[in-house]
Amino acid sequence: MRRVALHLGLLLTCAVILLPILWVVRTSFLPEPLSYSPELMPAATLDNYVALFTSTRYGQSYLNSLIVALGSVVVALPFAAMTGYAFARFKTGGRTGRFAVLATQMLPPVAIVLPAFALLRTVGLTNSLTGLIIVYAAVNLPFLIWILMGFFEGIPVDLEWAAQTDGATAWGAFWRIVLPVSLPGIAAAGVLGFILTWNEFLFALVLSGPQTATVPVALASLQTSNGVQIAKVSAGVVLAVLPLVIASRFIQRFIVQGLTFGSVK
Amino acid sequence: MSSIELDHVSKLYANGAYGVRDVDLSIGEGEFVIFLGPSGCGKSTTLRMIAGLEGISSGDLRIGGRSVNNVPPRDRNIAVVFQSYALYPHMSVRDNMGFGLKMRGVGKAVIDEKIREAAGLLGLTPYLDRKPAALSGGQRQRVALGRAIVRDPVAFLLDEPLSNLDAQLRAEMRLELVKLHRRLGRTIVHVTHDQVEAMTMGDRICIMREGSMIQVGKPLEVYANPVDTFVARFLATPPMNLIPARLEGRGDGLAVIGDGLDVPVPDMHRTAYAPVAGREVIFGLRPEDLHETPQPGCARIDVTVVAMEALGVENILVGQIGGAGGKPVEIAARLSRHFTAPVGASVPLYLDARPMHLFDPETTRAFPRPALRIVKS
Repeated sequence: MRRVALHLGLLLTCAVILLPILWVVRTSFLPEPLSYSPELMPAATLDNYVALFTSTRYGQSYLNSLIVALGSVVVALPFAAMTGYAFARFKTGGRTGRFAVLATQMLPPVAIVLPAFALLRTVGLTNSLTGLIIVYAAVNLPFLIWILMGFFEGIPVDLEWAAQTDGATAWGAFWRIVLPVSLPGIAAAGVLGFILTWNEFLFALVLSGPQTATVPVALASLQTSNGVQIAKVSAGVVLAVLPLVIASRFIQRFIVQGLTFGSVK
Repeated sequence: MSSIELDHVSKLYANGAYGVRDVDLSIGEGEFVIFLGPSGCGKSTTLRMIAGLEGISSGDLRIGGRSVNNVPPRDRNIAVVFQSYALYPHMSVRDNMGFGLKMRGVGKAVIDEKIREAAGLLGLTPYLDRKPAALSGGQRQRVALGRAIVRDPVAFLLDEPLSNLDAQLRAEMRLELVKLHRRLGRTIVHVTHDQVEAMTMGDRICIMREGSMIQVGKPLEVYANPVDTFVARFLATPPMNLIPARLEGRGDGLAVIGDGLDVPVPDMHRTAYAPVAGREVIFGLRPEDLHETPQPGCARIDVTVVAMEALGVENILVGQIGGAGGKPVEIAARLSRHFTAPVGASVPLYLDARPMHLFDPETTRAFPRPALRIVKS
């Protein structure tokens, strides 16, 4: 009896989480006039998906989002890895340094977005993917540092010592031993950074233009003065969520893997 | 040249605490030296200073006669085997073993040959292509050793390499390490808190406490002649019995008198201990110097049995003496496996006072007496 109650509870929880997503998926395949229909599946069409790519700039935005998310991660990760390592291994900056990194995450994004806009305008990088990449790399850096710092702290210092007595320099030990061993953590941090950038709206709205809009901005633009095109928005949401689903699967595999097993004890 | 000299070496931390204090030790070429002490005594820090992984605050460290205070670990040609093994998890056994040679730019053919030799020596040939995660604890330990051996270093520094192994494997590896030392003839510094490893493996033991090296000597010499109560108790299990007493003159001789204790001092120690007569002392005697049967020259003490530990090869009696004039003192006796007594019973034990020690209760230092020699049978 207790088991049945437990499963019912779990089912209910799953339903609460999944039903809205499933409803969005269902709506994305309905013609616009039927999108508010109470019936489960009154019709099925791919028109919304086709229209997204033919009558809006969604395709361009999708590509922009991919470039910006990947680009910002590629820029931020090496800095995050080295800074995180310095914090973790050499206690660089002490507690104050760590707190300073954390403190940057406490600022509301809206407090940074206007200064960021002013800075980008000065260097002529507003309405450009490069500008977005730089800003996202900077905004995500503290978060990535924090994640990687925790990961590096979990790597036994004995490994680096062993490498150094084996003939490696401190940099060599980091490059040849610490980095490969930390790959799961770095990959996880990279995926999280990708997700953060992919979903970010405010910076993209302020700093991008029609040519450089990212997916969240493109989705928002589907709410026109003629009302919300809910079926098309749903199709856009489904496509927008796809990379995140794939990324989540990837991140889970990497985090669980834990490469250091077998190195010590 | 693989001698290691620590010339008044200290490690002072930023908070003003000493990790290692004024260690002065000369380790000869090819010597097997044990650093023994409880956790936090500074033995691993000293080892890391020798390896170059920890800076030296003062003093001079010389390897092969060359001062290496400012020489990075990679240029000291010393191999370290860590307690955790510290195998590179993303590399195969072969790559782990060859890493040090690769770092030194040795050619692939030579690396392969050296790995083959070391793997053969350590029984690792079938596992060369495995990752550390696919090995047992003992195999990982061998890989860590193999990684050190292939480099042909001037000295091996072993930081509690056996402490993660089970008792049987530890005993096997103990023997393997001794054999390896004989075969390679290299200097080995072995850090441990295990008294058995200390007694059985090394040419010399260096006992450390609170950052200082308090006694250095051959294992049996240190065992027979501890400089203070710490060494007396630390070097064996069960530890030396330490009983508060008073040294008094009796006729021409001396006697150790305590609560439940009346032991004439053997003639061999009379002259040495004469200056201490009339003082409070701590009487020290090892558990194996108490016997269940009367023996010539032995003093009798009556012991109330607290516990009997049957170890198969022998029985350890834990008992109490005295109690009439205050708190009874707990002592241990290493007796024959045939001897048993019920808990609570009072049994006579016979005490061979020839290997006795007297310690100063205030300083815990041993009162000087002629050193005893224990001959290895």
